[in-house]
Amino acid sequence: MSRIIVITSGKGGVGKTTVTANLGVTLARLGSQVVLVDADFGLRNLDLLLGLENRVVYTAVEVIAGECRLEQALVKDKRQPGLALLPAAQTRKAEAINPNQMKQLIMALAQMYDYVLIDCPAGIEMGFKNAIAAAEEALIVTTPEIAAVRDADRVIGLLEANNIKRVHLIVNRLRPNMVQANDMMSVEDVQEILAIPLIGVIPEDERIIVSTNRGEPLALADNLSLPGVAINHIARRLKGERLEFIDLDATNNNFFSRIRKLLWSKLGS
Amino acid sequence: MTSDSAPPTPVSSVSENLSEEKRELQVHLKNEDGTLLLILPTEAETASTTSWTDLWEQLKHRLNGGSRFWQPQASVHLMAQDRLLDGRQLKAIADALTETQLQLKRVYTNRRQTAVTAATAGYSVEQQTEVPSLSLEPSKPAAALAEPLYVETTVRSGVEIRHSGTAIVLGDVNPGGSVVAAGDILVWGRLRGIAHAGAFGNARCRIMALQMEPTQLRIADYVARAPEKTPANLYPEVAYVTPEGIRITKATDLSKTHLLSNS
Ligand SMILES: Nc1ncnc2c1ncn2[C@@H]1O[C@H](COP(=O)(O)OP(=O)(O)OP(=O)(O)O)[C@@H](O)[C@H]1O
Ligand SMILES: [Mg+2]
Repeated sequence: MSRIIVITSGKGGVGKTTVTANLGVTLARLGSQVVLVDADFGLRNLDLLLGLENRVVYTAVEVIAGECRLEQALVKDKRQPGLALLPAAQTRKAEAINPNQMKQLIMALAQMYDYVLIDCPAGIEMGFKNAIAAAEEALIVTTPEIAAVRDADRVIGLLEANNIKRVHLIVNRLRPNMVQANDMMSVEDVQEILAIPLIGVIPEDERIIVSTNRGEPLALADNLSLPGVAINHIARRLKGERLEFIDLDATNNNFFSRIRKLLWSKLGS
Repeated sequence: MTSDSAPPTPVSSVSENLSEEKRELQVHLKNEDGTLLLILPTEAETASTTSWTDLWEQLKHRLNGGSRFWQPQASVHLMAQDRLLDGRQLKAIADALTETQLQLKRVYTNRRQTAVTAATAGYSVEQQTEVPSLSLEPSKPAAALAEPLYVETTVRSGVEIRHSGTAIVLGDVNPGGSVVAAGDILVWGRLRGIAHAGAFGNARCRIMALQMEPTQLRIADYVARAPEKTPANLYPEVAYVTPEGIRITKATDLSKTHLLSNS
């Protein structure tokens, strides 16, 4: 049975596309067949993050319009076997597609892949409705900021109304030293409001920005960086593994405890 | 410790839009002699901006939040009133009911078109020129309050629960969420959003919460903002109107001083 998961947030710029790309790479590395669907019509950038921009020929819109076959639009990632991308049109707006068409498209992909990850646009308008139309599960990405959490809460309510009940939380861009100084919401603060199960915490890390700009997801690296490990754990929790949460706390962030944790998580993989 | 925990700024000015809001109703469910009435608000009872999607979301939230409170397989009568429903919308309602193990049996409507749609879909239909009296006491201004609404849910940001009686929420009211009730509001959880009790004008109504950290409280035409950054009190509190405005007090104190003597 294939799993259809939408990655969504409400607020823009909190890391949906980053999570989708890296999670896709990781799941493929763990041996699954994965397709990433860019549902952010008009503002596509999943292909950029994956470094696949120059290989995009057709998009979901042409498939729906019958101008090409689904297989023709799929871009296979040469660096990572098992990973494919269905790009979004850059020129046409979300209104070019309706939820039913999106659903048909995703259902066709679900026949071919173990995981269908849908990168949702920000907001709760048409693009959001299209992105969640076929989803059976959701990952909510939020940063530890009041506005992002508020929007995440709104989106969770909408998902509930649309019968998407399996919803997990990812807190992105956490800065443990700021939490400690009481300048940032803690993961617990976020959880207290959203009241959905936590599946992962990704620290703020410059390497994510660097990898974004290079079109080379962190998760592709042989030696995973701390955010890479965090994503790796999310992927494995998705697959049903029970893993301790990495302690990102600044006080524990000395060299040795970090090494120990990385070793530990390597052994576990 | 004093019984009054830092009373929020009382604002006694009457704002016009409060009274404007009063007439707005939502989809609601009501038990009547073993059948469940699913009542859609009339066109006049909702804002002109209310879309089918809004009604649909209200229905889903009510169903998700109330499923413990009715028998499985109970039959439902849909009071569609003057709402135009097409086949797809009617099916969406029936499907949502089926998911919560309820069965749509009968449709009451005063629109010919909706009656035809419902009959075509195989439901027994009752077309009326007038709205059924049994469902409608909430919209009549002078009428008694509706029976209490009891929902088990998290009222999330962007969600508003409206009820023309007392509202009891088993769960948190999050920032950005709101509860508007003609009667009292009781939150068995954290109240962090907006609560408006006595929304039809009754200033004797109260707002109670296990943890009172509201963005804003309103009782009848009184408004109070939460004081900036107060540490949450770890005991249940009650908000009520005094001549000085809205006050908050420890629930146990209020029951001693007010509930027994004053009311
Ligand atoms: N953990 C992190 N640490 C540092 N930078 C990050 C982190 N996560 C994301 N970013 C950066 O934040 C920016 C926005 O990320 P991304 O594009 O993934 O967000 P999005 O939610 O998809 O945005 P949109 O709503 O516009 O689609 C990017 O520049 C990305 O590199
Ligand atoms: Mg994005």
